[in-house]
Amino acid sequence: MRYRRLPALAAASPETRKARRRTRWIAGAVGALALTLAACAPGGGAAGPGETADAGKVTLSLWSWRVEDVKAYEKILAAFEKSHPRIHVEFKAFQATEYNNILATGLSGADGPDVAQLRAYGGLQPLVEAGQLVPLDGKVDALSGFDPKLLEGAKGHKDGKIYGVPFAYQTLQVLYNKKLFADNGIRPPATWDEMIAAARKLKAAGITPFAVAAGPDATWTLPIVHEIFGNARYGSTKFRDAVLSGDKKFTDPGFTASIKLIKDLEPYFPKNVVAVKIPDVQALFATGKAAMYPTGSFDLAPVLQANPSLEVGAFQVPPPPGSPVSTPVTPGWADGSFGINAKSPHQAEALELVKWMATPEFGRLYATELKQLSAVPGVSPSDPLLAEMAAGYAAHGAPYMLLVDFRYGQPNGDAVFRDELQKMLAGQTDPAAVAESLQKGVEQWFKPGN
Amino acid sequence: MVQAGELSTPRRSRTPRAAHAGGRSRHAPRWRVLAVFLLPAVLLYSVFIVYPLLSAFDYSFFEWRGIRQAGFAGLDNYRDLFGVYPYDRQLWRAFAHNALFFAGTMLIQNTVGLLFALLLFRYGRGKRFLQAAFTTPYLVDPLVVGYLWSLLLNPTFGPVNALLEAVGLDSWALPWLGDTRTALPVIIVVNAWQWVGFPMLLFSAALAGIPAEYHEAARVDGASAWQAFRRVTLPLLTPAIGVVSVLTFIGNFNAFGLVYAMAGSTGSPAGSTDVLGLLFYRVAFVEGGVEAIGRSSALAVLMFVFIFGVSLLATSYFRRRERMLV
Repeated sequence: MRYRRLPALAAASPETRKARRRTRWIAGAVGALALTLAACAPGGGAAGPGETADAGKVTLSLWSWRVEDVKAYEKILAAFEKSHPRIHVEFKAFQATEYNNILATGLSGADGPDVAQLRAYGGLQPLVEAGQLVPLDGKVDALSGFDPKLLEGAKGHKDGKIYGVPFAYQTLQVLYNKKLFADNGIRPPATWDEMIAAARKLKAAGITPFAVAAGPDATWTLPIVHEIFGNARYGSTKFRDAVLSGDKKFTDPGFTASIKLIKDLEPYFPKNVVAVKIPDVQALFATGKAAMYPTGSFDLAPVLQANPSLEVGAFQVPPPPGSPVSTPVTPGWADGSFGINAKSPHQAEALELVKWMATPEFGRLYATELKQLSAVPGVSPSDPLLAEMAAGYAAHGAPYMLLVDFRYGQPNGDAVFRDELQKMLAGQTDPAAVAESLQKGVEQWFKPGN
Repeated sequence: MVQAGELSTPRRSRTPRAAHAGGRSRHAPRWRVLAVFLLPAVLLYSVFIVYPLLSAFDYSFFEWRGIRQAGFAGLDNYRDLFGVYPYDRQLWRAFAHNALFFAGTMLIQNTVGLLFALLLFRYGRGKRFLQAAFTTPYLVDPLVVGYLWSLLLNPTFGPVNALLEAVGLDSWALPWLGDTRTALPVIIVVNAWQWVGFPMLLFSAALAGIPAEYHEAARVDGASAWQAFRRVTLPLLTPAIGVVSVLTFIGNFNAFGLVYAMAGSTGSPAGSTDVLGLLFYRVAFVEGGVEAIGRSSALAVLMFVFIFGVSLLATSYFRRRERMLV
């Protein structure tokens, strides 16, 4: 009932001054609030990251989605600052899931980064089309030595210009538990039939042959699993070129057969695979309850972190029967690149940094500090297993086509495909219908021959 | 209570008038004082609610290239939602799931809530404790609740199935969230588990407001317990039922956190739990294409218009029912 006192305050004359004071106080508070809001607004007052700290020294801000890599980047960037004493680089990491929006907003304002880690392929296009990045053609000479397959990930889809220096690539293969293989008398398979025989043997021994998840958090890994087992079956790079030129469609019998492989392998996946999540399969593999893990090179570090004593090997899946390709294939893609904000006030310094990121010095530091495959030509990983994966990609690499070519429009091919694959594993559709849906989805925006 | 109300009424009406008469010449006009009091709320409301709503409406009529507006698009974004595969299917599927979610919640959560309220009303024992106990889950964010339940229901490591197997109900140890037939019902039940305290509290308050004489009169007239409930209690609960239904409707058609935590952004398995909130999330953030802003804004506007429209209709319907009571 306190509200009744307020009008009373205003009424009686001794109280009037108090009331006035209160009114003024409230008005003041509102004013202060407005000021605070203004200060919070982007571009409001506060010193931007590009301000010069002491005379002549420039501070660049570098944005990334790798929160887990902050320490490693500080070490890497220290090397840059040593050779470039006039430039200080501030590394700022954001949650990977929120990064795209944060970056798009940051690049549109005055407080954005000078240099930013950029997504590859379709994920790069919104920034390119909004004119938020600086084209690097003719500015970074070292780019001419980069693998053209990886450069594709840093190009504008329409203008073909390069907008970033690729930093890493990922490869797809099967990781396996060396001890479980030895205990069961299994060697890395040389043929598809050998692989199936091994899976059958492991299953009989009570071990999950393939650690595959298709649960709510894992749908994005299903197209990866399909790539690993099916790339050779659908015809690898040749099929990709045929789809891009319009000679073939995803409804091609070869592609449908590659989808069917996943359905055929289901008995060797964990039980109720549609309810199994990524942490579950990582745990299964790390604790020796599953013997093989079809996944990307990016998963090696987390698996070893979960169980440092695990002895891990890797093999390329042998071509399934009926494959138009006779050698095993390692699918891969460019992970992302580093590019320059078009609005950065320190273009020259930002270019210096990006140029340095194309040097072997950066590549080596990146590979050793982060245990990833560097995109810089000539840099080989120090880890023997990663080196093996890199060699596999160099010898028989192929683009993971749904990620590389079919994320340029909505719905992206990858998104349609993963839903359909999950549906198939849930028993709601069949391989031919999956292929049809995928074709129908990409047809909404994809025009062959461009 | 009645006395206090009678006492306060005349005083409340007297004081402001006195304030007016005495203060008009010497003080700032009343509207200015009011404006100062209202300003912060209006400001916050405009900045955080009205402005985003209007801008989503505005965005939905433009073609987008990343965050750059590329020209007026008319109704193209809306047409895309209904015409571009697979959105055309996903939109209706998600809508149907929201409708099921609402129906299931009305049936389970609100019926059980009413039952609990009646039981607590009739047998007052431990009322405070039970009321607190039933309402505790809604202190926790739906994302957290969803995460906890997905751990409990995990088919490989989860305790629910382990328990079922331990008591010999092996055939009941299903992959609850991995089966297209059980996933949505399980989410509806978990949602009801979290929110059942809410209708219970509202119904409890409404039950306490029904004069005891009505029940006595019904009993004197020889009505059975069921008849008394059906003919006396239930009709008098109409206002509460109206409020609960409309709020349930709004909550269910905006569902996101719980479903996201239990079924991921794609509405696993195989889209059997996909709802409009998830579809929006996917279009806006997950796929992140160049057209994302326009299409997701169009979907947001459609959802708002639908939820707002139905809520208005439902409210006016329940108002009419209430008037029939008097």
